[in-house]
Amino acid sequence: MRSRINLYIVEYAINSLLRQKYKTLFIGLVLTLLIFLLSSVFFITNSMKHELQATVDALPEITVQKIKAGRHDEIDVDVIDAILELNGVESAVARVWGYYYFQNAGVNFTLVGIDEYEEQYKKSFVAAASKLDFTKPSMLVGEGVKRVMDANYYKEYFNFIKPDGSLKRVDIGGVFKAETELESNDIILMSKESVREIFDMKENKATDIVVRVANFNEVATIASKIKLLYPDTRVITKDDLKISYQNIFDYKSGIFLALFTTALFAFFIIIYDRASGLSSEQKREIGILKAIGWRVDDVLREKFYEGFVVSLLAYVVGITLALAFVYIFHAPFLREIFSGYSQLKTSFALPFVLDMQTLALLFFLTVPLYIAAIIIPSWRSATLEADEVIR
Amino acid sequence: MLLTPEVLAILVLNLLFGLFGAVAFLLSLKIFLKWDADATTPLQYTLEKQSFLAATIIKYIFSVKVPLFAFFVFTLDKISGVITGAMCAAGVVDATQSGMYLIALKIINLYLFASWLKLHSIDMSDKNQPYTKLKFGLFLLFFLSLLLELVLDFRMFGGIEIDKMVSCCGSIYSSSSTSALSTLFKIDNALLLSLFYGNYFLILLFFFLKKKYLFGMLNTLFLPLSLVSLILFFGTYIYELPSHHCPFCFLQADYYYVGYFIYLSLFLGTFHGMMIGFMPKVENGYKISLLFNSLYVILLTLYVLFYYFKNGVLL
Repeated sequence: MRSRINLYIVEYAINSLLRQKYKTLFIGLVLTLLIFLLSSVFFITNSMKHELQATVDALPEITVQKIKAGRHDEIDVDVIDAILELNGVESAVARVWGYYYFQNAGVNFTLVGIDEYEEQYKKSFVAAASKLDFTKPSMLVGEGVKRVMDANYYKEYFNFIKPDGSLKRVDIGGVFKAETELESNDIILMSKESVREIFDMKENKATDIVVRVANFNEVATIASKIKLLYPDTRVITKDDLKISYQNIFDYKSGIFLALFTTALFAFFIIIYDRASGLSSEQKREIGILKAIGWRVDDVLREKFYEGFVVSLLAYVVGITLALAFVYIFHAPFLREIFSGYSQLKTSFALPFVLDMQTLALLFFLTVPLYIAAIIIPSWRSATLEADEVIR
Repeated sequence: MLLTPEVLAILVLNLLFGLFGAVAFLLSLKIFLKWDADATTPLQYTLEKQSFLAATIIKYIFSVKVPLFAFFVFTLDKISGVITGAMCAAGVVDATQSGMYLIALKIINLYLFASWLKLHSIDMSDKNQPYTKLKFGLFLLFFLSLLLELVLDFRMFGGIEIDKMVSCCGSIYSSSSTSALSTLFKIDNALLLSLFYGNYFLILLFFFLKKKYLFGMLNTLFLPLSLVSLILFFGTYIYELPSHHCPFCFLQADYYYVGYFIYLSLFLGTFHGMMIGFMPKVENGYKISLLFNSLYVILLTLYVLFYYFKNGVLL
C-alpha cells in the first residue's frame, strides 16, 4: 500500500547509472554547475546581508537628515537640543561626515568626524577615540584606505584638498579596525574640527543627527514627533534601513534568479531531450525487465530513483563546491556583482552564514525541476512493449 | 509585486504544476470518457498506458506540494519582515484579500491530493482496477481546485504592496477584531475543550470498537475542532501569553518551529482517520491515525500542564 523504498531497485538504478557513465556524467555535471552558480549567488547575498544587518544593528535607532529642495542638506546643530527635550530620547549626537573623492586612485573615502569627549554613537569608535590624537590634525584610516594611500606614497600623512583649493595636511595616526570590514574598509576617522575644515562646513552645522532611544517600542512615536517638530527633515529608523537592505538584496538576487530561470528552462529541455533518446540497448534492457515480470510501476520507480540519485548528488556536490568557492576562496568574480562600483570595494571577508531556508530554496529550484523533466521520457520508456523491443 | 527569490521559486514551481497538471487533466478527461476495462481495442491499451503517465504526474505534484507548502509558510514568515506592520505570516496572509482563502485552499488541496493517491494505490493493488474511472473523474475536479490555487498564488504575491500597512497577528486573532474570526472568540473555552477532548476520547473508543465510518466522521470533525481550539486556547499556552492567539507565530524559530510538528501530526492523524471512513477497502491505518492524533493532543496538553506546574495558575 504505502510505497516503501525498494533497496534492490535502488541498487539496480545506481548500477544502471554507472553503466551509462558518460550520459550520467554529462547531466550530473551540468546540474552541478547550475546548482553551484545559483547557490554561490545566494550564499554571497546572504553573507553580505548578514554583514550589513550587523552594521545596522550597531547604529543608533533614529537618523535625522535635513532635506532641502529634495536633497540632503546640512542640519543645524541646535536641533539636538529640541530632540533631547522629547521624552524617551536617551541621547542625540550630531554627525559630521562625508565622502572625499581621491582623484589619483579614483576612490571615495568616507570621512567621519568624532569628538574626544562626546558619547560615541558606534561601539567601534570608542576605542578609536582614545587612540586618536586630538591635539593636532591626525586621523585613523581603515585598512582599504591605508592600502590606497600606501600605493600613492602617502605613508605618513595625507593632503586633503579643501573646496577653496588649498591643502590640509593630516597625519596618519594608525589603522582603524571595526568588527566587520565592510564597516571600516573605506573609513577615515578624524576630529570633527578637521572634517569641518576639509568640507568647509560651519561650526553650527552637521551632516545629520543620530538619536538613541532607550525603549525599542517608543522608536516609532519619537520618530513621528521629530518629524512634527521639523517638517523639513527626513527621519529614518533602524527598521526602515533593515527593510530597505532586505529589499535591495532580495531585488538583486531576484533579478538574478529571474534571468536564471531562462537557464533553468534550457536545462529542463536538455534533460528532457537526453532522457528521451534511448539507445536500442536500453530499449532491450527495459524489454527484458518487463519480460521477466517487472511492472510499468517498477520501471518507472527505477527511473525515478535514477533521477533522485543524480539530482541529489548534484545538489550536495554543487552546494559543497559553492560553500568552498564562497567561504574559502571568497567568491572571485561573482561577488563583484553585489559589492558595488566603488574602487575600494574589494577586500571584505564574507562571514559564514548558512540557513535552512536557503538550502530549501535551492532544493526547490533544482531537484523538482529535474524530476519533472524526466517524467514523460521515463513513462515513454516504461510503457514500451516487451515483445516489440526484444524482437 | 514581490520579487524575492523564494517567491520566484514558488511561482516557477507553480508554473510547472500548471503545465503538468494540464497534461494530466487532458489524459484524465480522455480516460474518464473512454475507459472500458473489458475492451481489447488499441484505444484501451493506449489509455492504460496513459493512465500511468497521469498518475505519475499527480504523484509528482503531490510529493512536491507537501514540502512546498511548508516552504510557502516559511516564505510568508520571511516576507513578514519586509512588510510594514506584519510580524509573522498572518500579517502577510492578511495583506491581500485572497490570502486567507489561499491558505485554506492549499490545505484542502493537500487533503484532496493525498486522498487521490490513497484511492490510486487501492486501485492499483486490485488487479481489476475497479476505481480507475472514478479516480480520473475525481482528478478532473481536483485539477480545477489546483488551478484556482495557482491563480490565487500569483494574485496574492502580485498583490502584496510592500509599503502598505498591514495588521499584525495580535490584532487579527483577537476578540476585538472585526474580521470573521472574531465570532469564533465568542465560544466558551470550557465548551470548546470538552468538545475537543470528548471528540478525542470518542476517537479512542471507536479505535477499539473498529467502527470505520464513525472513526472517519470523528476524524473529520476533529480537524476543525483542533484548529479552533489551537487558536483559542492552546496557542496562548505555547506563547505563555493570554492575548496572543496567532496560529502562525509558533512556526517561527522562537518557538523551536514546533508549529510544523503540530500541523504535520494533525494532518497525518486526521488524514489517515478520514481515509478509513471514506475510502473503500482501507483496513489498516487505525494505528497511524490514532498515533498522530494522540501525539497532537498530548503535545498541546503538555504545554498547558507545564505552564500550570511552572506558574501555579492557568491563563
